[in-house]
Amino acid sequence: MKPGVWHRLDVIARGLLPAFSVFVLLLINLLPVSLPLLSTASPSLALMAVFYWSVNRPDLLTALTAFFLGLLQDLLMGLPLGVSSLVLLLVQTGSASQGRFFHNKSFSVMWWGFALVAIPALLVQWLLSSALIGALLPIKATLISYVLTSLLFPLVAWGLARAQNSLLRYI
Amino acid sequence: MAQHGGPQQRIFSPLRTALHRFAFILLIFSAFGLMLLGKADTVLIERIRAASADLVSPVMNIVSRPTASINEITDKVYNLAHLYEENERLRRENQQLLAWQQAARNLSHENARLRDLARYTTPPSLHLVTSRVIADMGGAYAHSLMISAGSRDGVIKGQAVIADEGLVGRIAEAGYQASRVLLITDINSRVPVIVENSRDRAFVSGDNTTRPLLTFLTADATVAPGDRILTSGHGGAFPPGIPVGVVSSVSENAVRIAPLFRRHQLEYLRVANYGLHGILSEQRIRQSQAPSNTDATNLAPDIPAGVGVVPKESEIDAHKPMFKPPAPEGDRP
Repeated sequence: MKPGVWHRLDVIARGLLPAFSVFVLLLINLLPVSLPLLSTASPSLALMAVFYWSVNRPDLLTALTAFFLGLLQDLLMGLPLGVSSLVLLLVQTGSASQGRFFHNKSFSVMWWGFALVAIPALLVQWLLSSALIGALLPIKATLISYVLTSLLFPLVAWGLARAQNSLLRYI
Repeated sequence: MAQHGGPQQRIFSPLRTALHRFAFILLIFSAFGLMLLGKADTVLIERIRAASADLVSPVMNIVSRPTASINEITDKVYNLAHLYEENERLRRENQQLLAWQQAARNLSHENARLRDLARYTTPPSLHLVTSRVIADMGGAYAHSLMISAGSRDGVIKGQAVIADEGLVGRIAEAGYQASRVLLITDINSRVPVIVENSRDRAFVSGDNTTRPLLTFLTADATVAPGDRILTSGHGGAFPPGIPVGVVSSVSENAVRIAPLFRRHQLEYLRVANYGLHGILSEQRIRQSQAPSNTDATNLAPDIPAGVGVVPKESEIDAHKPMFKPPAPEGDRP
């Protein structure tokens, strides 16, 4: 039986889920939250999602997609252009090549993996942003951001895993 | 794919990896290219940023409403718990304010009479646009907000953004229906200010912490913790007299101020259109870069036509021996 047009459209739409989920997380990151801590340093939700998808479905979140999602993040958040693109691109490529290591392992291994990957990612972001702005940015905010990012990873990963299981099982 | 096995696979597989590697390197270079572009062409990048703000603003406008109402509920619970103390505090404050009201009435009468006597020209009137905060780009690298007003509502880049308490920042990019506000705590923010009591001039320079620095103070300036800092209006970027903050700490190498607003509680902001476009006006920058009259010295864009024009050699020769400079047209009184 040949797959019909609707079936193919369905496959394409489902294939866009990873990129779309990163976009939604970017918007969630932008929401004004009335917590004093989050206004000085917020967790990098896009980084979590890019790591998750590159480990689990690198075929659906390619390097090019990561690049453009980073560009969008820079544009929306008013960051120096190109920095997030580079960071997300490196995280995507690095995690996708090491993806097999995390397969059939417990979740805590992936959590540790993410906590390790997030260190150079946020460090590069901090260094490049400082260099482009022309002044050393306070490292404290980056540290808080790192702690929040690694602590909140299970929550985001759980949500993405549910989406993956329900929508991407047969793709 | 089973049908692509065999020799084809042997040829295409390395080709594909090579292509992937090439694409990766290309993307790395484009990221660095973007960084350079962001540094070099700010006008183009600003337009793209404004367009991207416009793109997400309809979504953010709707999504930020539930969070606002959740915040309202938590606020209500908190207020209920502190009702008694709050009441006491307000009663005390009310007494003080009544005394101030009396003083303010006397002063405003006196001020009006003195202005009459001195023929004081009143500064241009303030036109305010109120808008809601729809996004907070909270983060370690940038301190900015997105508001739901843009060029549609008369918002222009460079205008001052004010909360109830005082200055919040300025418009960094204005899209059609949304704009980005650069907070005074951001590392890119510089605001010309004066110290309220001593009238010393300075700049409030953000450094991405919650306590911006007071820079370019003169050596003999007297600043003490608790001093109020107001915008000075220099440079024509902000209206004068908007409260910016209170000096929080004075040490040998840094004076820091505490802004008056609390970032996580900002909900509605006002954009002040003062009729001044200030040093940030792109139009004026562009005009000053490309003068229509090549003989003009172009010292300042405000100089009326005819002033500052170097007469041509032939004109000077024609007017010799009794040379008179051409009378300035439309000279101001």
